[in-house]
Amino acid sequence: MGVVVDVAEGLVDITSILAALEATSLADRLRESLYLFPLIESAHVVGLTMVFGTIAIIDLRLLGIASARRPFTSVATDTLKWTWLAFALTATTGFLMFMTNARVYFHNIYFDLKMGAIALSGVNMMLFELTTRRSVNRWDRSAAPAGGRTAAALSLALWISVIFLGRWVGFTTTHATPTVEPDADIEHLLP
Amino acid sequence: MSQFAAWLSLTRWSLAIKVHEWVIPAVQSVHIVAIGVVLASAFMIDLRILGWAGRDQTLSETTARFSPWLTGALVILLVTGVIMVLGEPARELLAFSFWSKMCLVAVGTLATLVFQVSLRRHPTQWETSLIHHRGIKSLAILTFLIWVCVVVLGRLIAYDHLWGSWSMSPKA
Repeated sequence: MGVVVDVAEGLVDITSILAALEATSLADRLRESLYLFPLIESAHVVGLTMVFGTIAIIDLRLLGIASARRPFTSVATDTLKWTWLAFALTATTGFLMFMTNARVYFHNIYFDLKMGAIALSGVNMMLFELTTRRSVNRWDRSAAPAGGRTAAALSLALWISVIFLGRWVGFTTTHATPTVEPDADIEHLLP
Repeated sequence: MSQFAAWLSLTRWSLAIKVHEWVIPAVQSVHIVAIGVVLASAFMIDLRILGWAGRDQTLSETTARFSPWLTGALVILLVTGVIMVLGEPARELLAFSFWSKMCLVAVGTLATLVFQVSLRRHPTQWETSLIHHRGIKSLAILTFLIWVCVVVLGRLIAYDHLWGSWSMSPKA
């Protein structure tokens, strides 16, 4: 019984946190501006395509499909710092978009699945770092062991899913677009 | 153009795409995956020219690694792009963002082609002197920025009213 009550209270808390996010002046500005949301969304797409593209370079090396003869560590040092930079841009812009309509996104099944897929690829990456990556000296210049290939295939599948789910979030949520341009005089719209 | 868009939207192909609601978001998703490949491939070649990545490899090796993926992804972008235009002709063909994006795609593709042909014809000249040329390095940065602008304009097709009277699309 106590557990049920706790869960219910937890949900109430989250709803009020989400409502508070939506009520911030930053969220207000993002909703009211004609330009900010589209520009933030564009930056989100630039960031996420760079995240996916640079991760794919590593995954294809692990799978032996591309850069197969180049040392894994060289491929990783060339790309990973840019992956993290792009991820920071994507997460920041994603959070800004989330703020404008937090409760709707939070209760959108595709959004939840997308966050789940991102979390899973994080776990996948950590497991790779803690296991296969530890023995990189043994396979740096040759084919990655099965663990590395599995992690790479999972990573590709998860990130492609994230992209699909993100598009489905866009198609199943409506973000606030102002019906009247902020500086338009309402009088002129009346006959 | 709006007559053409109206005609196109009544063709068999356009109707077939519209009947299935999942087609447009699915094709857009594939389009975004392919953009990731183009952007990252162009980025790695440009970083090699700048000397910020892949210095254990020659420029020709780096280009050989990434250009087939870049070209292949561009073909996927063309195919998925055509499907999106067929599915929503007015949304695309009347958008200022769409046509400015197409111009930049043409510039980006041309720059990529010229670079690849030139590198194949004069590999030693590229490795020994051209790659150290400041103008070439600026061009590498510029090409990457063109692709970034292509991505931004692509997303802005959904918000074409931002362009005001430059947009041909009817006000939503």
